[in-house]
Amino acid sequence: MSEQFEPKIVAFVCNWCTYAGADLAGTSRTKYATNVSIIRFPCTGRIDFMLLMKAFENGADGIIVSGCHPNDCHYTSGNFHARRRWIVFRSLLDFMGFDTDRITFSWVSAAEGAKWAGLVDETTQRIREKGAFTDFKKLDCSTFEKISHDAITE
Amino acid sequence: MTPLQNKVAELFENGTISLMIGYKNAINKLAVPCFIDHATQVEQLIYTPECKGNLSVYLHKAEIKQAKKIGILANIATLRSLVQLTSENQLSDIEKTVITINAQNEVLVFDNMEKVEEYVQANFPEYTEEDKKLLEQLNSMTRAERWQYWSEQFAACVKCYACRAVCPMCYCSSCTVECNQPQWIKVSSETTGNLEWHTMRAMHLAGRCINCGECGRICPVGIPVHLLTAQMNLDIEKEFGSKTGFSCNSGYALNTFKPEDKEQFIK
Ligand code: SF4
Ligand code: SF4
Repeated sequence: MSEQFEPKIVAFVCNWCTYAGADLAGTSRTKYATNVSIIRFPCTGRIDFMLLMKAFENGADGIIVSGCHPNDCHYTSGNFHARRRWIVFRSLLDFMGFDTDRITFSWVSAAEGAKWAGLVDETTQRIREKGAFTDFKKLDCSTFEKISHDAITE
Repeated sequence: MTPLQNKVAELFENGTISLMIGYKNAINKLAVPCFIDHATQVEQLIYTPECKGNLSVYLHKAEIKQAKKIGILANIATLRSLVQLTSENQLSDIEKTVITINAQNEVLVFDNMEKVEEYVQANFPEYTEEDKKLLEQLNSMTRAERWQYWSEQFAACVKCYACRAVCPMCYCSSCTVECNQPQWIKVSSETTGNLEWHTMRAMHLAGRCINCGECGRICPVGIPVHLLTAQMNLDIEKEFGSKTGFSCNSGYALNTFKPEDKEQFIK
């Protein structure tokens, strides 16, 4: 049997809803894909888009971003601000030709342990089908090739 | 003397301004910024189609702010940046007189921002034909083709940050690119770092850029960086209904929200 590709998924979640939801999935002993590494934030409002870029740069194949449902934010409006930012960030990535299907955005509340487990499974499966994320690595190689090519032709 | 020069001389003589930011001739018929502090120097002042540079970028400089009363010659893009900067509360500490030349070649003087806003709204500029064409081309490409296009463009970036220096909306005294703990953006020019730099630049300017196109014009390697923010502004207008540089009270689209904001991708 050939070994199947296991993607690395990084999840950026807020402390108050999704992290608690993931905790619930754990305490209820729900089984879900082990590919995910969870990073806890105070609020979705704190999840800077640069953190997502850095995750991809450091070898993530897929990303989950999740927080409290609208109107449930612990700080009242962090997720509303985050939502606007995600809308713009996603369309910027798309305009630059980045595969936005590698990022899953979601709202998962503290009571939705099962939704969390399903979300991780579904994302893992989707990324597994897509394969490893190599766009950034290719960029670095092409820069290197370009430089060495220029150096040779000079 | 031209009507513009006469007007500026008059403003110096009656004490309305003590420093004038305008354009003067340079070699090759180029127009470069000039700074005048006396009525006797007004003969340098020109206003030609070459006067594209956005002079409002100088209003952030401490040396300029020292002058108590500043006159600024503004094309329509500059007027828009003044409106946006006012809405971001960046110009409240300067006393400024705004001078523009309308399509009928009349010299107009605005002594307050309400009048500037009114003029901008009545003469709101569209994207240039060239930019419209480029945006259309990019949007009709497949995602992979766009990735290829921008990767090639960004590979050429030498990280000189000229696009940041000319931008009237890039006024932060310390920029994330100079942040080194942690180092968000790599110092050297290599393609992933360049992509990150341009993503960051576009994100920080989305909904604030006033489409003057200066960043794209100034880039020494010819990257059309202004298209990124131009596209973001279109998307923001579509999604949230806000236009940049349109009203002195509009603020910044990403600094606010509506509970009913819509999207289709959050699961
Ligand atoms: S990003 Fe470019 S086009 Fe937009 S305001 Fe700045 S210089 Fe002008
Ligand atoms: S002006 Fe051009 S080369 Fe310089 S940093 Fe901006 S995009 Fe890169």
